[in-house]
Amino acid sequence: MTSEENVNRQTAPNPALAILLIPWGLLRSAARFLRRLRSNVPGMIGFIGLVAYFIFTFIMPHIIEFDGDPNLDEIVGPIGSRIQLAAHSENAHLRSFEDLAGKTVGVVDQTGGPDLIAPYADSLTIETYRWTSRRAGPGLEASLIDLANKEIDALLIFSKTVTELIDNQEDPELKALFAENIVITNPELGPPHLLGTDTQGRDIATHVVHGGRVLILTALIGGVISTVIALFLGSISALTGGVLDSGLTALTNLILAIPRFPLLVVMAGLIQFNNTLYLGVLIGLLGWPSLMRAIRSQVLSLRERDFVEAARSLGLSTNHIMLREILPNMISYVMINFIFSITFAMYEQIGLVVLGLAPINDYTWGVMLYFGRSRGTLYNADGASMALSPVLAIALFQVCLVLFARALEEIFDPRLRTAV
Amino acid sequence: MVDLLQKAAKNYTVRVFVQAILTIWAVATLTFLLVREMPGNPIDVLIEQILTQEGVSYQEAYDRVAASFNFDPDASLLDLYLSWLGDLLRFDLGTSITSPGTAVIDEIARFLPWTVFAVGMGLLISFVLGIILGMTMAYYRDSFLDHSLSLLSSFMTGVPNYIWGLLIIIVLGIQLDLFNVGELRGTYDISLTPGLNAAFVLSVFKHAALPITTYVIATLGGWMLNMKSSTMGVLNEDYVNVAEARGLTDKRIISAYVGRNAALPLFTQLTIAVGFVLGSGVVIEEIFVYWGIGHYLFQSITVRDYTSMQGVFLILTMAVVFSNLFADLTYGLLDPRVRISGDK
Amino acid sequence: MSLILPPDIVLKVDDLSIVYRTDRGDVKATANVSFELRNGQALALIGESGSGKTTISLALIRKLPKNALVTGGRILYQRNEKIKDVLELSDRQLREFRWNECAMVFQGAQNAFNPVLKIHRQFEDTAQSHGWTDKTAVRKRALSLLELVRLDPERVYDAYPHELSGGMKQRTLLALGVLLNPQIVILDEPTTALDILTQRAIIDVLNDMQRQLDFSIIFISHDLSLAAEMADHVATVYAGEIVELGAVNDIFYQSLHPYTHGLLTSVPTLEHAQDLLQSIPGSPPNLIAPPAGCKFHPRCAFADDTCSKDSPPLTDDVGGHLAACWHTDRLLASRKARV
Repeated sequence: MTSEENVNRQTAPNPALAILLIPWGLLRSAARFLRRLRSNVPGMIGFIGLVAYFIFTFIMPHIIEFDGDPNLDEIVGPIGSRIQLAAHSENAHLRSFEDLAGKTVGVVDQTGGPDLIAPYADSLTIETYRWTSRRAGPGLEASLIDLANKEIDALLIFSKTVTELIDNQEDPELKALFAENIVITNPELGPPHLLGTDTQGRDIATHVVHGGRVLILTALIGGVISTVIALFLGSISALTGGVLDSGLTALTNLILAIPRFPLLVVMAGLIQFNNTLYLGVLIGLLGWPSLMRAIRSQVLSLRERDFVEAARSLGLSTNHIMLREILPNMISYVMINFIFSITFAMYEQIGLVVLGLAPINDYTWGVMLYFGRSRGTLYNADGASMALSPVLAIALFQVCLVLFARALEEIFDPRLRTAV
Repeated sequence: MVDLLQKAAKNYTVRVFVQAILTIWAVATLTFLLVREMPGNPIDVLIEQILTQEGVSYQEAYDRVAASFNFDPDASLLDLYLSWLGDLLRFDLGTSITSPGTAVIDEIARFLPWTVFAVGMGLLISFVLGIILGMTMAYYRDSFLDHSLSLLSSFMTGVPNYIWGLLIIIVLGIQLDLFNVGELRGTYDISLTPGLNAAFVLSVFKHAALPITTYVIATLGGWMLNMKSSTMGVLNEDYVNVAEARGLTDKRIISAYVGRNAALPLFTQLTIAVGFVLGSGVVIEEIFVYWGIGHYLFQSITVRDYTSMQGVFLILTMAVVFSNLFADLTYGLLDPRVRISGDK
Repeated sequence: MSLILPPDIVLKVDDLSIVYRTDRGDVKATANVSFELRNGQALALIGESGSGKTTISLALIRKLPKNALVTGGRILYQRNEKIKDVLELSDRQLREFRWNECAMVFQGAQNAFNPVLKIHRQFEDTAQSHGWTDKTAVRKRALSLLELVRLDPERVYDAYPHELSGGMKQRTLLALGVLLNPQIVILDEPTTALDILTQRAIIDVLNDMQRQLDFSIIFISHDLSLAAEMADHVATVYAGEIVELGAVNDIFYQSLHPYTHGLLTSVPTLEHAQDLLQSIPGSPPNLIAPPAGCKFHPRCAFADDTCSKDSPPLTDDVGGHLAACWHTDRLLASRKARV
């Protein structure tokens, strides 16, 4: 091809054809990128993981319904259910709170039981037993003795260890007493729950499916805002120089000196957020300085390269140089940092939620953690799936982001290191 | 005089000092405005609260708030600002709103050392480990060891530190029952009298062990990767090649020629890490119920003790600024090239 | 080893072949190289960049890159009538051999010193690693060597590398090179990246040092005038082979190989007029798949069918002046015709 043809192709494209070419070009570069990614195993894992997360949090919620109703029929469900109902043998038919109306019910409270019982409290006579040791303490044993002695009709135990306590009872007298009089109602009952149910008999798996959307959206908002601000201020600073540059640099250094998370914590303490997405905006507004600094030095170094010099000597405008010459050369760098800023936004918002300083009206993974801490299920040996589900959902998402970003780093330019 | 000032402006040490002071002043001003002037600021909120709850006159509500915030109700905003700065210079951060009579600075002095201890130990351990592992990765690059360590580092940096903390509690503490989470709360066993005796020191380490482990895990991955890329750069340097040709022992080359040069850029990143880890201490200390400055900050926020919040926030910022300053000043000791250019 | 070498030979390279393993194939960087180095001799290896000079010199101290593989040959080193094959030294022996017996002053000394250690620490490191722990003795010797290379010894010895100029670093490296009294010093392009005056100073210093300290030099350069000045023997390296080897005057005034001849006529001299300057046509061969026969034949004006079929051996036609060419006579004839 001669250079003349080349010029023609670039300056006078058929507009209709050009529009058709855009998706084709995108598709081709996407395919090329995927081919390169395939040789990078961790990056591929991260990429597949992110796609899975996308499906998981944005499509699955439309298929799987959020299980939000406390479901007491699940209280004697299979392994994974965390509530058990024990009754005196003649009361073995008792299955739900409706059945329990008018009875004297003992509650062994370790994992937030009172919350669960509150709506039914009027129809029950409640005896509370303190859970005094970690595994199976005197509180639980006392309640069982009371149950065996018919002082209470039924017992709600927010733990599954009760069967072990009855079966492995060392005191022969008590063992005989329990075996004779106590029934754990229908331990086989209930549909299978992938991750079991929480303290209120709700399916944890559906919570995990629904718990990512708001978090990821908030993190994306934060990431987009901080990346755009950083890109804008960083390039302006580098391209104009002078007073504006030193002013912006000083501002950046000042903000960088302030510990970001405590600032967020303090602000969240002063301002009452009622919308998680506002939190994303605030995180984005505070999160740009380190990236801005990196972009500034990137633009500064790109500015000195030959092709930019050439563009400048041709008299092209700063706008043109920035958009056509410099930005395309930074796009992968910006992309990588955008992903890292998503991880920071994720870190910060969930941190605030766990502390209870961010809105908890959406039942997100963070909120699951918050309730896990405030209701004590995190500290319950039986709460494994309740505690670990949100923890793993958050951890794996972040790891996928990092793996993917690192793969991009290696694929595009191993010499560029990201900010921070 | 002008001459002296010009000389001072060019002096590296003076420059970083002035920068640090200016930063602290700016942050102090910012916090002052945040508490005084921001829409919905705590003073207005408190006045509003007293007005609606007790039906007293505005002046009286204002006076009472002024008393608890420890400012003169008749002074102008500028005077308040100046007197606040003056108090700051004397390290007077006011008194707590919720427990009147307690100086905020005393509370900070009570909580801060624990945080400094845990964060410092955590960073020290992870820095040293990271340097060793990062160098190992660079020496055995593209080996199975390198790939698995690099995957591990992605996990360590990717997973938020409080998630690491929760994992430690849930998996090691609750599920595997390796330790009693409840017993490790606080900063030391309260039945012991603080002092330099073995039992107390042991208990201090025991109580700080979980936060320290969390800090180590969460920061180690970053050090490893940075050290690896830094070491790979240094390994290509002529002086390493020449050192090998000079027949130096491997031990000497690894420590004084490769290690020392590769670790240099990591020292500047150490200050960034200090700021980050100190800040994230708020969640970590809450999760482990470790009574450090982060825990104090969170408690102040939950009871809306604004003077304490303000004080702790300022102190945290100052800690970051001073650790930056410290790094700037000591970097010269480690890298002779900076020392010279700094003096000239 | 039952081998016996004449006592004045310190190094004998025998049939040395080295390849670099790359993704595209094996690069035959050095093929069947043989030469001897006598006590006190200064041998220059000349050739274009990429010809394999540096590979040869790196092989002498076994400092080749990781993907290099020695496919054959021996490197015999003799001191006090004990002969060792460098290629067979254990790691420990090799470490002791380096710098103690054979020091190498690398190209571009700008970055040859550890930036965070003072010069004296780097001298002491070198001495200590070879079992010389007496710091005052090291200091005494180092100071005298620094004086020999015409530096201010006290000042340089106590300085950081960045406090020295490029020429000073190069001279300091020379002094460090002879610290342990090696028999051989390899100088790889010792004056590139230095200005002309500094180059001059370095050459003078080197001449001085060799006179006073009695070591042999292997000198690698593409700068022919420098080679002419420094060396007493010259080997021309082309495509990984030595194509001509002889005393410096023989090579420069009676070159027997068309490549050497080409190199010489591509450099301006005071005697020759500017218009006689010629460059060698073509470019160095691809060493993954080198041409058959004489590797120089595609670029050679005298080549014929023999040259493209058979590789010429390095033969001694005129007493101590070796050349690997089928047509040395044609070159001589053409030169006579021109004069």
